[in-house]
Amino acid sequence: MAAPVKEMTGRERVMAALNGEPVDRTPVANPTSVATVELMDLVDAPFPDANRRAELMARLAATSHVDLNFDTIMPVFSVIQESSALGCKMQWEGKGNWPTVRMSEPIWKTSEDIVIPDDFLMHPDLQCVLEAIRILRREYGNDAAVIGKTMGPWSLAYHCFGVEPFLLLSLDDESETRRILDKLSEATILFGRAQIDAGADALTLPDHATGDLVSGEYYARYLQEIHTNFVDEIPIPLILHICGRTVDRMGYLSHTGMAAFHFDSKNTPEESMAAVEGRIALVGNINNPSTLYAKGPAEVREEVYANLEAGVQMVGPECAIPLQAPLENLMEISRAVKDWHADQAVPA
Amino acid sequence: MPTIDDIQNEDIRFEIGEYIERPEEFERFVNLFSSIVPLLQDIAAAVIDGDNGLADELTQQALADGITAETIMDDGLIGGMGIVGVKFRENFMFVPEVLACARAMKAGMAHIEPILAAHGGEPAGKVIMGTVKGDLHDIGKNLCIMMLRGAGFEVYDLGVDTSEDEFIDAVEEYDAYIVGMSALLTTTMPNMGTTIEAFIDADIRDDVMIMVGGAPVTQEFADDMGADAYGKDALSCVSLATRFSRALASEAA
Repeated sequence: MAAPVKEMTGRERVMAALNGEPVDRTPVANPTSVATVELMDLVDAPFPDANRRAELMARLAATSHVDLNFDTIMPVFSVIQESSALGCKMQWEGKGNWPTVRMSEPIWKTSEDIVIPDDFLMHPDLQCVLEAIRILRREYGNDAAVIGKTMGPWSLAYHCFGVEPFLLLSLDDESETRRILDKLSEATILFGRAQIDAGADALTLPDHATGDLVSGEYYARYLQEIHTNFVDEIPIPLILHICGRTVDRMGYLSHTGMAAFHFDSKNTPEESMAAVEGRIALVGNINNPSTLYAKGPAEVREEVYANLEAGVQMVGPECAIPLQAPLENLMEISRAVKDWHADQAVPA
Repeated sequence: MPTIDDIQNEDIRFEIGEYIERPEEFERFVNLFSSIVPLLQDIAAAVIDGDNGLADELTQQALADGITAETIMDDGLIGGMGIVGVKFRENFMFVPEVLACARAMKAGMAHIEPILAAHGGEPAGKVIMGTVKGDLHDIGKNLCIMMLRGAGFEVYDLGVDTSEDEFIDAVEEYDAYIVGMSALLTTTMPNMGTTIEAFIDADIRDDVMIMVGGAPVTQEFADDMGADAYGKDALSCVSLATRFSRALASEAA
């Protein structure tokens, strides 16, 4: 029988889970965002400023550890920082809505148009993230894992080329699609490495080749090799995030060498665990729109338990949560994880 | 009773035999494609193959042969998209392929629409369509709009990032009975609920039928938000709009 694991800090717990090592209990992790309007009010760090000013970004991000008892802190609430730095037209929105890229006004048409600026990392929207990570590392570095985020080339292509033109191109011209992905990967690597230098413990790498849009075969054809390469190029645990139904590509992505996959509630914990066969840790998959937003703590607890019973290695929301999700539901996640482990420890 | 062997186009026979699993759909497609001339079958096959050049060429040829614009649209272009819709629903086809099929249908419709517009006639109904506030994704919405227009609906496209007021203003301006809302992001889905609440606040909720859809949207979520219906895909969207429109017509009768 294995010796019990001594009590860990949040950071130790998350890093152990990402490295496939024993943990004292399942970490509560937030690889995307748990920012809400209530949390913005609580620490006076509202959108859109909390996406553009480092001190506010760090303050809002820290609430996930301080107020919600997550073992992680994720300062990058959205998916748009790099796209802003690449020159996409932005809609920064207000407190109650997410900033977004105006994908109907794409900035590029061919791979020849792609330019990663020499001063890409100096862009204020990237510097904001880097500085927020430095602040969080300084203030919470031993307590919680500070997770950064660098967008994958498939997602960046949606932003820079438009979703519809890029998806059509992927069907019409495979070589051109590969050139685009290769060039955009440079931005992924540059920003990822900069966040390591700033003090990130791990990075989420969203790359939205979702089952709602493309097939699992598409993932294997276009992204598996690129994602495998990222593991070498960005030497820190990587958490791949793809929304939607993804079981048909979990087999492929589990061979990339990434540390974890952040999965959506459209995939059951059991089938997902079976699909990855232990080759990659799973993080997830509490439903956002129906459960965390629209239901109550009892239903949240039920989903947490379902993940724990299936053996999911880190528990948290399936994706960035709706800004209006109630705090009591978010707080229930860590309570439920602790209670479940306490129940497991009681001798029969 | 026609059989699949009565369909002349080999590709269509393959598509139906390979991908259409529900008996009632199998029967419907066999009945349709076995009853239309080979040229219309070829148009449908071009749409399913996403071959916009061929769809364009064959549509022009069909018009030159004297086939009516309505028949080419209903039996050839929409007939082909019907199979595409089923393949998408069953995960035999994904969005890039569907976009290519839609592009082929549009190539044919470019010749059909001016003729239909010149003929005039009553629309099947008026539909307001938009992606909700904060969401800039429109592929699914645009596919729905294309299919609705193909089915004879007059569609007012409010685009993306549509506020509650824009939905309400459009309903009042165009006197529309059907509203379709789309969202791709779990973070923006709640804005469907706030839009429906705005219709209640404006005291016009009972004047419209609201349908919602989008990749992360579910029947359960639609019910929670107070929508009248949830559509999983563009085919469902047309079915729902047709059902609402017929119900309205029978009420008025």
